[in-house]
Amino acid sequence: MPGKSRRDFLKNSIAGGIAATGISASVANAGPKNILSADRMGVLVDTTVCVGCRNCEWACKTAHNLDSGDLNSYEERKILESKRRPSEHALTVVNEYTHGKNSTLPVDVKVQCMHCDHPACVSACIVGAFSKQENGAVIWDTDMCIGCRYCMAACPFQIPAFEYNKAINPLIMKCDFCFDRTKEEKLPACVGICPTETLTYGPRTELIRIARERIKRDPSRYIDHIYGEYEVGGTAWMYLASKNFTELDFPLLSKNPAPGVSESIQHGIFAYFVPPVSLYALLGGIMWLSKRRKEMEGEEKI
Amino acid sequence: MRTNIIALSVIIFTYCMSAQQMRIEKHSKMNIDCKTCHTCDVPTKADPCLTECPREKIATVYQKPEQTPELIKINQLSDRYEPVYFSHKLHAQMAAISDGCENCHHHNTSGPILKCNKCHEVSRQREDVGIPDLKGAYHRQCMDCHREWSHETGCNSCHNLKTDGEKSSPKFDYKKYAGKDHPDVVVPSVINYKTKSDRGEIVTFSHNDHTKSFGLKCTNCHKHESCSKCHDVSHKTSEKPKEVKTELSFEQQHKNCINCHEKNEQCNRCHGRENIEPFNHTKKTGWALNRHHEKLACSKCHGQKIPYKKIDNKCSSCHQAWNKENFKHSITGLQLDETHIELSCEDCHLEGNFELKPSCNGCHENFSYPNKKPGQLIRN
Ligand code: SF4
Ligand code: SF4
Ligand code: SF4
Repeated sequence: MPGKSRRDFLKNSIAGGIAATGISASVANAGPKNILSADRMGVLVDTTVCVGCRNCEWACKTAHNLDSGDLNSYEERKILESKRRPSEHALTVVNEYTHGKNSTLPVDVKVQCMHCDHPACVSACIVGAFSKQENGAVIWDTDMCIGCRYCMAACPFQIPAFEYNKAINPLIMKCDFCFDRTKEEKLPACVGICPTETLTYGPRTELIRIARERIKRDPSRYIDHIYGEYEVGGTAWMYLASKNFTELDFPLLSKNPAPGVSESIQHGIFAYFVPPVSLYALLGGIMWLSKRRKEMEGEEKI
Repeated sequence: MRTNIIALSVIIFTYCMSAQQMRIEKHSKMNIDCKTCHTCDVPTKADPCLTECPREKIATVYQKPEQTPELIKINQLSDRYEPVYFSHKLHAQMAAISDGCENCHHHNTSGPILKCNKCHEVSRQREDVGIPDLKGAYHRQCMDCHREWSHETGCNSCHNLKTDGEKSSPKFDYKKYAGKDHPDVVVPSVINYKTKSDRGEIVTFSHNDHTKSFGLKCTNCHKHESCSKCHDVSHKTSEKPKEVKTELSFEQQHKNCINCHEKNEQCNRCHGRENIEPFNHTKKTGWALNRHHEKLACSKCHGQKIPYKKIDNKCSSCHQAWNKENFKHSITGLQLDETHIELSCEDCHLEGNFELKPSCNGCHENFSYPNKKPGQLIRN
């Protein structure tokens, strides 16, 4: 939809949207999803022990029936010379950076969905296809996804990818925290294969305790920052590193839940489950409004 | 057979004995909670009630590398891979300059050496995820270093795939390391460090002088080396002076030097625009070292204390035990003949001053040293 007409469409929808959801606060029906469970799971990624073997990439593709190829072909390290982003073909990728202190050892960083505690993608999804699950995973319902790509625009980590190459019914793709595997008490595929246990899977609160302890035990190894503990209100996947996270291409984000999304509305979703249809117009309008506000404030520096 | 068994048990017994660790001196005064290592309130010598996995780096394992097992078989992945044989002794020898045993045997009490799987659980799905699982622990130990110079991280870069009984030559012949010692390290003679200092970017370090003349042991400076210090393609030619690039803090960079050299020394003592010549005793002090003195460590004459004490060039300053009765003149390179050996020192070395040219005038007219010699030179 060309920009101008879409804006008009959204502008016009706001009024109706608010009218339709005006009663939302009284619909005090807590849904089974979108509740932050106290013992939700997470992954602590200790980039100081990651060897950049990319086994996790292979395992992730294999577990998701994506074209994964031969594990041995992942030994090729040339691919690490350029920076990659997760895509519809690879839900997680490993990028390599220079160490800074040691010229012989690179720093390798695995990238995937952070599974935010207050996910912008969930707030942005106009049909309510996205949800934060009790175990910490942020997943989406492919049957509900209409391919509007608002989640892509909203995600502060630029994670959701779109199957542009697919002509029929292209859908959003991203790391699903191996929801189908964890349901069966299996580890996420990447966690299971990692040779160095760079990826520690456990209750989020426990992971924060472990991360703190590691920093305290070896202050020369780590910078004193657990990325994801507070960023955008906290994420299920958290990182430890030897150097500043901005140098590893992590966006500099505040403690507030995802920029660009109205916090009160988001809390509204969590506290009171609102039927997505009534939110459709409202969220669309708010996205437009917050996008404009962002434009006026200037882009968040990444 | 019987003798073999006895011999083997003796070896195993000795190994176990040497594996028993020393008590850490005054460890009770260390700033560490007793409960880190002891499970009971009142540990005794007889019952130290040691915990299995202390999470502190206090108690360490001290064994000579040669006392340790040569190869350790690791066969956790026997369904897919052939075993990996870890050449323990070789690695222990290298660890001498790289944090010692505790580089791997971290968190050991002063009790017996713990096996990795004592603390590191086999299952990744486990209660306490604070300690890496066994797979993680092994790979961290190996890959953290090996990838530095191998630049490989694939499974097959260490694991030989099982071949279902088919005969094939394995990629790695781990067992060839049995009975091998780490080869002697090739020691550079001079290293020219290129620094960023504006007081002179070149620091010439005479490695030779420090090891041979100053008598420093490798471990005096090389305590925390990474393997890649030696094992790197770019570091293979140790004949030429190496160029070393480091990114360390000022303190870290100067630490090894300042241990001996005065802290407030002028920068230009070491930093210059050009390479500095190695230390030359003749040029610096005006006293050439003879063939005996040349071989000595500086501390032999100048004492252990840094900076070295100044000494005069009187023989007796060092050779206090020499006297008329026991002094063998031949040590000077001149073997006195039968006649001269009977004389007293002062007959030639007037007034007992050995610095002056010896005089022949007491007996001979028109003779002078060294044109005329009272014996035979036994070296040129
Ligand atoms: S499998 Fe583990 S060590 Fe290998 S690249 Fe992924 S996170 Fe890093
Ligand atoms: S990282 Fe992006 S896609 Fe993942 S949960 Fe957060 S907002 Fe959603
Ligand atoms: S958790 Fe699952 S989906 Fe996400 S990166 Fe790991 S393997 Fe891929």
